[in-house]
Amino acid sequence: MKTSQEQHVCGSTVVQTINAPLPLVWSILRRFDNPKTFKHFVKTCKLRSGDGGEGSVREVTVVSDLPASFSLERLDELDDESHVMVISIIGGDHRLVNYQSKTTVFVAAEEEKTVVVESYVVDVPEGNTEEETTLFADTIVGCNLRSLAKLSEKMMELT
Amino acid sequence: MAEICYEVVTDACPSSVYESTPAHSRRRPRFQTVMHEDWEKNCKRSKQEALATRYSSIPRSSREDFSDQNVDVSSPRYGVSSVCGRRREMEDAVAIHPSFSSPKNSEFPQHYFGVYDGHGCSHVAARCRERLHKLVQEELSSDMEDEEEWKTTMERSFTRMDKEVVSWGDSVVTANCKCDLQTPACDSVGSTAVVSVITPDKIVVANCGDSRAVLCRNGKPVPLSTDHKPDRPDELDRIEGAGGRVIYWDCPRVLGVLAMSRAIGDNYLKPYVSCEPEVTITDRRDDDCLILASDGLWDVVSNETACSVARMCLRGGGRRQDNEDPAISDKACTEASVLLTKLALARNSSDNVSVVVIDLRR
Repeated sequence: MKTSQEQHVCGSTVVQTINAPLPLVWSILRRFDNPKTFKHFVKTCKLRSGDGGEGSVREVTVVSDLPASFSLERLDELDDESHVMVISIIGGDHRLVNYQSKTTVFVAAEEEKTVVVESYVVDVPEGNTEEETTLFADTIVGCNLRSLAKLSEKMMELT
Repeated sequence: MAEICYEVVTDACPSSVYESTPAHSRRRPRFQTVMHEDWEKNCKRSKQEALATRYSSIPRSSREDFSDQNVDVSSPRYGVSSVCGRRREMEDAVAIHPSFSSPKNSEFPQHYFGVYDGHGCSHVAARCRERLHKLVQEELSSDMEDEEEWKTTMERSFTRMDKEVVSWGDSVVTANCKCDLQTPACDSVGSTAVVSVITPDKIVVANCGDSRAVLCRNGKPVPLSTDHKPDRPDELDRIEGAGGRVIYWDCPRVLGVLAMSRAIGDNYLKPYVSCEPEVTITDRRDDDCLILASDGLWDVVSNETACSVARMCLRGGGRRQDNEDPAISDKACTEASVLLTKLALARNSSDNVSVVVIDLRR
């Protein structure tokens, strides 16, 4: 039986294929200290602790007119061999409580293409449904991954 | 374009304006007005022009003599105030272009006013300020457009502006844009646009987003635009009909993200967030003034209050006195816009505030 303390959790997965090699994509994605290059909802980012490696905590301020102004995020895992990054949101003034995302990068079946998979779990805020919560988070994650694709493809043109 | 920041010193505000304000908010916040150089150029008229407009009340048949001398006998009177307010970045932009279009065979020019409230960053609003009036000018096909032609002109202009900010992001980024140079962020940056073209006979308003145009007529507000909020019933129907959702997150937002249902830019939310403007065309009568402003004003000041303040500044809204010095009504319009801005800040508006007041008295 579900008790009143039991929080309703939901999750989703967003996939983005990028026409750029994996090392290039990963080199952009893995910069925990500099998410602004492709996360366009980020206005500023500074490390509160750590050097950008595992365990580091960053404080992100968010651009105007979004339903948030800042977010406190911790890098739980950064694996440069299996290309896995795990980030938890540990604070801030937004409604994404207990949000944790795992991003994995693969070489696509087609050579020279990369697949980025971001899966997340998050509490469903009071007053919203699971569907609404995943739609909101998918919109943000989807926009970020499309920006990552655009940037990677543009950088590849320059090389 | 360089911005000049300076502190505006104005007369003390009448206490009646603050009647509904809590006591602790009575202290007037000190603030800086951001004014662009081209506004100052627009405000400084030549002596000849000022002299000519002194006679703007003379009979129509005699006015033609001034037209022959290429003197602009119907220059608009207006005031602008645009402040950052409590938010750290300035993302509003204002464009004013008197006589921006002088169609062939037309006896009188048309004047352009626009307020653009950016979100996500400032560059889409800045781009609108630089370009939208030129697109409207290009789309104008005749000197006396009828209602349908005005709607087509505005819809095409806004669509072209929207496409420009998307494709522009793929090429050049201006130095004053805060986004990183290598990653223009046009996909997730947008702006409102409330635009008015004023002709001798008509007031045309095209609106996209939640800035607003309000006509002050006999001291009463007449809305010339309707805010594009996602929970407006027809906007909600349109969004859901397109496969989108309006989610109440902290307020109604498209996909839980954006609190307005129409905007220039915001490509990642297309087609739910449309750039199509709603156009109104209003015949001119004995009107007091037109107020264009961003939601930093309208969120905390009602249409009625804004009209009362503006009318008071324009000397009770009566007919302009014969031979009234045009500098007087310019000053009155500026005072009205500054007073409205200060009122918004006093009422704890947390946004940028931009206000344009246009004297419509003949």
